Amino acid sequence: MPSSDNLTDSSLRLKKTVIIAIFSAVAVVLGIIESFIPLPFAVPGAKLGLANVMVLTCLYFLRGRDAFALIILKTVITSLILGTFSAFLFSFLGAVFSFVVMYGLMKIGRGRISLIGISVVGGVAHNAGQLTAAVMVFKTSKIFYYLPPLMLLGVVTGVFIGIAVKYVVQALSKQSLFEPFVPETY
Amino acid sequence: MKRGDIILIGVVIVAALAFMVPKWLFQNSSENLHNGENLVAVITVNGEHYKSVELTDKEQEIKITTADGHYNLLKVHDHGIEMIDADCPDKVCLTFGFVNRNGDTIVCLPHRVLVEIVSPTGEEGDLDAVVG
Repeated sequence: MPSSDNLTDSSLRLKKTVIIAIFSAVAVVLGIIESFIPLPFAVPGAKLGLANVMVLTCLYFLRGRDAFALIILKTVITSLILGTFSAFLFSFLGAVFSFVVMYGLMKIGRGRISLIGISVVGGVAHNAGQLTAAVMVFKTSKIFYYLPPLMLLGVVTGVFIGIAVKYVVQALSKQSLFEPFVPETY
Repeated sequence: MKRGDIILIGVVIVAALAFMVPKWLFQNSSENLHNGENLVAVITVNGEHYKSVELTDKEQEIKITTADGHYNLLKVHDHGIEMIDADCPDKVCLTFGFVNRNGDTIVCLPHRVLVEIVSPTGEEGDLDAVVG
């Protein structure tokens, strides 16, 4: 029946919107919590990347464009709340780099690469994006000095973020809201 | 963890080390080169040259005030320079610590402040060739 098809269609869309909204809210809160956690490593710009948990979870359940909406919302709101709007370009470029790489890996690596590997590469891409923005603003490639130590650190945090995402995905898959979106195989 | 993960992580680590190891090797030799003379810290704000300071062993504080009234406080001591205070929101610039080698940088993204250490002869930092 076409009418019931329409109904489930719009209900799915509504659920999707709700999920994106909740994920964005959680990502923003994680981003704020993260800014209170000092990292004991003397690498400038190092972050835990907690908000990446939500981006990766969103990529797992929903489509790329939904996750893209999430990173836009997340970056804009976090920048506004933390008052670092001048640094908006940096987080934005980082988020976009990370998104593109994670989305691509999810597409081509399905079945061969787990969420941990995707999380690691996403974290490293985030750093690369931020440094690229810095290089564009300061017009000196010397800032890339900081990429290698950030990459090593990104591997460590990426593994933990990936493990966290695995638990989040497992728990959420049991929720009725997420049932229609659980991918068949991963 | 899958095989693909291990390979990915391995590639990232190898790439990072490939950049870091030559940097360590270079740094030792460049330090010997500049034993006699002091390095210079070039401070740039928003893309424009602000000030150049010779890095002597005499203590000296430099306060940078940006156009919108914010500040960064730099301190020169022991032939190096350090960002000791700033009213930027993220304080990332403070984590750079004390820098004293040719090519080292301190960056404050929110204030667009860049401190670069160069040799007085105008010689570029060691790693530029790798990047560019």
